[in-house]
Amino acid sequence: MTRVYSLETSRIGRMTIRHTISLFFVALCIPGVSPAAEGDVNFSRDILPLLSDNCFKCHGPDAANRKAKLRFDKHEASLQEIEDGRAIIFAGKSAQSELYGRITAEDPDDRMPPSDTGKTLSQKEIELIRKWIDGGAEWAGHWAFQPPVPREVPASVKDWRSSSPIDKFIHASLAGAGLSPQGPASKATLIRRVTLDLTGLPPTLKEIDDFLSDKSEQAYQRVVERLLGSKRYGEHMARFWLDAARYGDTHGLHLDNERSIWPYRDWVIDSFNSNQPFDRFTVEQLAGDLLPGSTLEQKVATGFNRCNVTTGEGGSIDDEYYMRYAVDRVETTSTVWLGLTAGCAACHDHKFDPLTQKEFYQLFSYYFSLTERAMDGNKLLPPPIVKAPTMSQREERKELTRQSAAITKEIDSLLANAGYKDPKPNEALGDLGEQERVWIDEQLPAGAKPQGNDSPPWKFVESPGHPVHSGKKSHTRVSTSDAITQHFFTEATDKLKITENSKLFTYVYLDPAKPPKTIQLQFNDGTWEHRATWGEDKAFHAGKHSPANHQMGKLPETGKWVRLEVPAKVVGLNPGAQLNGWAFTQVNGTVHWDKAGIVSRSLSQQQKRSQYAWEQFSAQDNYSGLPAEIQGALKVERGKRSAEQAGLVTRHFLRHVHPDTRGRIAKQLSKQKIISNKLAATEKNMPSSMIMEDRKQPRQAYVLERGQYTEKREKVSSEVPAWLAPPVKDAPANRLGLAQWLVQPSHPLTARVTINRFWQQFFGTGLVKTSEDFGVQGEHPSHPELLDWLAMDFVASNWDVKRFLAQIVLSSTYQQSSRITRAKLAADPENRLLARGPRFRLDAEIIRDQALAVSGLLVNTIGGKSVKPYQPAGLWKPVGFGGSNTSVFKQDKGEKLYRRSMYTFWKRTSPPPSMETFDAPNRETCQVRRARTNTPLQALVLMNDVQFVEAARKFAERVIHEGGAKIEDRAIFAFRTIVTRRPGDTELKTLARLFKEYLEQFKASPESAPKLLAVGESLRDQKLDANELAAWTMVTHLLLNLSETVTKG
Amino acid sequence: MIDLKEQMMDPLLETGLIETRRHFFSRTAGGIGTAALASLVNPELFAADKATTGMPGLPHFAPKAKRVIYLFMSGAPSQLDMWDYKPKMKEYYNKDLPDSIRNGQRITTMTSGQKRFPVAPSIFKFKQHGAHGAWVSELLPHTAKMVEDLAVIKTVNTEAINHDPAITYIQTGSQLPGRPSAGAWMSYGLGSMNDNLPAFTVLHSTVNGGFGGQALYSRLWGAGFLSNRHQGVSLRSTGDPVLYLSNPNGMSASMRRKMLDELGRLNNERFAEVGDPEIQTRISQYEMAYRMQTSVPELTDISGESKATLEMYGPEVKKPGTFAANCLLARRLAERGVRFTQIFIRQWDQHGNLPKDIRRQCGIVDRPSWALVQDLKQRGMLDDTLVIWGGEFGRTIYCQGGLSNKNYGRDHHPRCYTKWMAGAGIKGGIVYGETDDFSYNVTDKPVHIHDLNATILHQFGVDHERLTYRHQGRDFRLTDVHGKVVTDLLA
Repeated sequence: MTRVYSLETSRIGRMTIRHTISLFFVALCIPGVSPAAEGDVNFSRDILPLLSDNCFKCHGPDAANRKAKLRFDKHEASLQEIEDGRAIIFAGKSAQSELYGRITAEDPDDRMPPSDTGKTLSQKEIELIRKWIDGGAEWAGHWAFQPPVPREVPASVKDWRSSSPIDKFIHASLAGAGLSPQGPASKATLIRRVTLDLTGLPPTLKEIDDFLSDKSEQAYQRVVERLLGSKRYGEHMARFWLDAARYGDTHGLHLDNERSIWPYRDWVIDSFNSNQPFDRFTVEQLAGDLLPGSTLEQKVATGFNRCNVTTGEGGSIDDEYYMRYAVDRVETTSTVWLGLTAGCAACHDHKFDPLTQKEFYQLFSYYFSLTERAMDGNKLLPPPIVKAPTMSQREERKELTRQSAAITKEIDSLLANAGYKDPKPNEALGDLGEQERVWIDEQLPAGAKPQGNDSPPWKFVESPGHPVHSGKKSHTRVSTSDAITQHFFTEATDKLKITENSKLFTYVYLDPAKPPKTIQLQFNDGTWEHRATWGEDKAFHAGKHSPANHQMGKLPETGKWVRLEVPAKVVGLNPGAQLNGWAFTQVNGTVHWDKAGIVSRSLSQQQKRSQYAWEQFSAQDNYSGLPAEIQGALKVERGKRSAEQAGLVTRHFLRHVHPDTRGRIAKQLSKQKIISNKLAATEKNMPSSMIMEDRKQPRQAYVLERGQYTEKREKVSSEVPAWLAPPVKDAPANRLGLAQWLVQPSHPLTARVTINRFWQQFFGTGLVKTSEDFGVQGEHPSHPELLDWLAMDFVASNWDVKRFLAQIVLSSTYQQSSRITRAKLAADPENRLLARGPRFRLDAEIIRDQALAVSGLLVNTIGGKSVKPYQPAGLWKPVGFGGSNTSVFKQDKGEKLYRRSMYTFWKRTSPPPSMETFDAPNRETCQVRRARTNTPLQALVLMNDVQFVEAARKFAERVIHEGGAKIEDRAIFAFRTIVTRRPGDTELKTLARLFKEYLEQFKASPESAPKLLAVGESLRDQKLDANELAAWTMVTHLLLNLSETVTKG
Repeated sequence: MIDLKEQMMDPLLETGLIETRRHFFSRTAGGIGTAALASLVNPELFAADKATTGMPGLPHFAPKAKRVIYLFMSGAPSQLDMWDYKPKMKEYYNKDLPDSIRNGQRITTMTSGQKRFPVAPSIFKFKQHGAHGAWVSELLPHTAKMVEDLAVIKTVNTEAINHDPAITYIQTGSQLPGRPSAGAWMSYGLGSMNDNLPAFTVLHSTVNGGFGGQALYSRLWGAGFLSNRHQGVSLRSTGDPVLYLSNPNGMSASMRRKMLDELGRLNNERFAEVGDPEIQTRISQYEMAYRMQTSVPELTDISGESKATLEMYGPEVKKPGTFAANCLLARRLAERGVRFTQIFIRQWDQHGNLPKDIRRQCGIVDRPSWALVQDLKQRGMLDDTLVIWGGEFGRTIYCQGGLSNKNYGRDHHPRCYTKWMAGAGIKGGIVYGETDDFSYNVTDKPVHIHDLNATILHQFGVDHERLTYRHQGRDFRLTDVHGKVVTDLLA
């Protein structure tokens, strides 16, 4: 067997009997996949995979590892003549072909592939190669790298129902395999299947009944249209895309802190709901920021390539991570749009596909010039970011701004009529008043988190024994080394506000016996880039005289307390800044510190009554903190201001400076205060999202030897691999050009790869099973003609996604019954030929959403910040870094417990366990195909997860309220609600009997029912009898565990 | 509580199982041999046979090890203060690390800004132990007693210099997320040896009642691109040991049993209707879940352990979640056929205050590590249980932060560090490899982490180059494209 290796290597293969055997049979029976037993040899299908698998490692595209200068991935190369009458491949004559000679050589030293590769060719494979050579050694290249060609839709087969081109293609191959299609699924089954497939949720009873009673020809089509118009559709489609985008709510590496990029997730939902054509969907995500006049939405869309995992781990080296991030983005782009595994080419030319290492770094170059920093700072929003208000927030902001402007107008007119006269219109400005505020003395300000090089980080000491300047304590640090040491705090909630002319001060005492070499103060207003240094320049940012290290001069005198003062401006702190942290840093020596705070100088109350006094003060203060228009007016000499400017200045003065006028406008001010608070709250609630942005000066990319960031080889620029598709004419050499290249109609891969993923969504397996790998090592399509036809049709439809999906679900192939007969199981266990409808386990998210839906708990809100529904206590603790803001899981309450699973907060280093158990990926890397396992841990989730038990008891309430009065009616209601069809006789009897038996059990142990009914946070309906409700809960609990419930059939 | 045997007698279920097997045989008869067939079949259907269900052809050769207990010291313990004795360093106290030793090698940005790299000799006393005279510091008095059982490897090395990439590397063979962990590879290659516990379990240890320290990630015991059934299952010390193990409040065991019986019946009926073998698999998975509900509590109940045994592990053994308790639990898991157990203990990342902190850590791990090896030995299990001890990289000879003759810190050091292995065909009583006077560079017999992983697999009868999985067109393996079995370590 050619491809029996897949038995050993398939991730899904070992899971079930069906899958196990299936791989075997795919190889054996499917015409499109296996080598033809007799007749034609198809190069791309039969020969290239053999060459690739067995020969390419040494004789393939990878130039560095090529042996004997021989390559089989290029036609000309393999036809080269080696001696008289012999060639590597002699077209038409296997006997004169070295290739054939070597694969059949008796001598193990000559035989290929060499035994140490662990590869062998079977007799059948050797025979195929012989046939191919003797038949002329026709060379076609790998199918996926040739653009799709127009395919003729086959004629209908016999009298099979075949309304659509899909059916005709499928039927043609079925007929070829001697199989016939299954009859249509029942209407009840069909509406469940299609509703789950297009919305990820089950149909409601009303929707089922409407469909069952609609006897018209268009009944099904109407359902499909309704579903495609539902907002649930966009959520469902987005979920698949987010696996590919490796979307998560945390950084993913090291601290794994929270990050905010959910506006991107909501953009994806909107995009599917508004049926954005796939080519635009592509361009906006890869390069929305580079589109002329790009909109906020287009910028948010570029979050796609900010979803990769990033680090802020101390000690990391920037260059290493710039490289890794760009590699991840190339790999992801390549997997998602090209279906190619570019990653291999980061270290060497690709072993199997013609992608060279240089081409890899040309692609890499597109992503190597972002303004992002290698270290993400563990921040919620590592730049570049964009504020991304929701629609309603934008409207709210507009309205509040309008209201505020109206009140300002009112105030202006009140003040204009106030008749203010300056009491001292010509008097020079006298001495200013001074205010001192102590921030650190005896203790740290409220909220401060102390840290430092020693433990405890802060050392407060008392006199005698230690010098103290103020109160009872000073703080001190002793160092005997030249390493920089410090103590500091951050996160003070009682912040220190910087105003005009502010000076920061502290007292210091240097030990005359052990003076330090350097002392440094650092101030934190969100960053630490504000430092003042005394003595030798040996502390942070040494050698750079800047606000980040402002050099104040010599060390203060030792052996006495000295007051140090730092003008806030010299360390880059401007009025309005607020400090939350302060660091005391030194190099060597013993230092005591005491009392620290701020001194500000400003106008006295009396001075504030004179406009002229204020004007002089403002000029001295360089007009800091004033709106631009006021500054402009003030800079004009007093007598030369226009009436408008003069009015502006006076109004500003009266409103903001003069202590007495405020009374007259008190009402307006308080109104405006309310509005501005609202506005501030709205602004504060406005989410931001991480986006792409290129540097003005691109960074030079290089080919990196063996993928090592330190080993640069030749320079490369941003270019596309032209052998795959020609570069788009006049396209810019940036991400926009890359995106345009991907979506050009003649691109051989983008459309095929995309529609294949859609196909996989509905049928469980793609037409190309390896949906992530369309390369030479990937699997040949089961229906190559259909794949090409669909791809071309998709492009011709202007990449219309909804139309494409409708085409699938409206086909009779899709609508077939999924019943598995023994004959068909034997012939095609994996259902690649589709002689029956799709049947496979539902995805993790659908299983949970379905339970929420039938229980009536599901909350339909779309989008927003991710939520934290139930998860077992203490899961994040044993893994989380102490300083991580996701080391403690705090479960949400109320509605947030019942949102669709796609909104569940995704901590990438510890994903939601009930999701992970059902094969949801951890979102650390791009994934386009999920496994589908069947494990005991899944059984435990459905049996015992609070979410499912709670859903069962709320479902039971519905059963009692809505299911009628009789036990049987209620059982029917419950059964239909969850699996759509009516229960059979035995099923109905079982459920009814079970209810009665459980009822007796609960009656016999009266303490049980209230306990069971208290599982989960939603309140129970107290009007219902506890035992009866508990008994129904057991029945619905069983129903939620049915195999049929978790299966799309 | 209904016994499992009774459940297997359930006529309907039994019919279903037989039916499924019969289907299978009839479908494949003549296709492939029976031997290969057994390994293809879903394990749980043959649970009663306790068949191991790894890949066909595995193990590649006769294994020495049946199981491994991996004591993982997360954060990177200092080899210089425990194992790699460097008496010469006394003379170098507070002198700069010679450039000829560092030789331009990269260091982390935590210390690359330091003006000096002053040598910080270990303040701990070393003595020789065992017939072969292995040097061990006073920090590990218990471990020192058993050096004749250990192969102490002083030359383990890696390329990664920071925790996240380094621990991901040693656990999965790649510095980046996405690859299967060693335990997952073993579960995939060799299957499970028991039918009611996971093949790969992970235990997390508290330090002074809490966690904290460098982060861990589920990828460290993840299955990467392998089926997620191979991923490590965390056994927790609080709440349910296995997630979702307990029935909800108010649902008695008999109610659960009834529910499962009826569920099985209804599922079987559906199987008869639609013929999907997946349904049969699901039925058996529910039965295994039910078995886990009883076997796991039995596993974690240590009331049957002898006083002598408990005493050996030390007083903390009775506190669930401690390293001592986890070591004992690991032995119990090993007894029950769990193939791969990994115990994590954090807080070894000692950039400052190393002497104090390492004393605390050693106080926690020394005795239980020793006890575990003794316990296994006493039960005759050390012969086929591999015990591994160590972290993701080592620490520098030069001081990070302030240096005094009592206190110092050390930065990350990837170029050499110490791990030990014992049992399962590993040569005891050897100290392998040599480093320079500064414990900075390997001077003899380097053991790259890929070599270490290759050697671990080798003890399980696995050729690390042949345990592969095709993903995205490429055959992946734990050791990437590297790794050599360190045959010198083998008895």
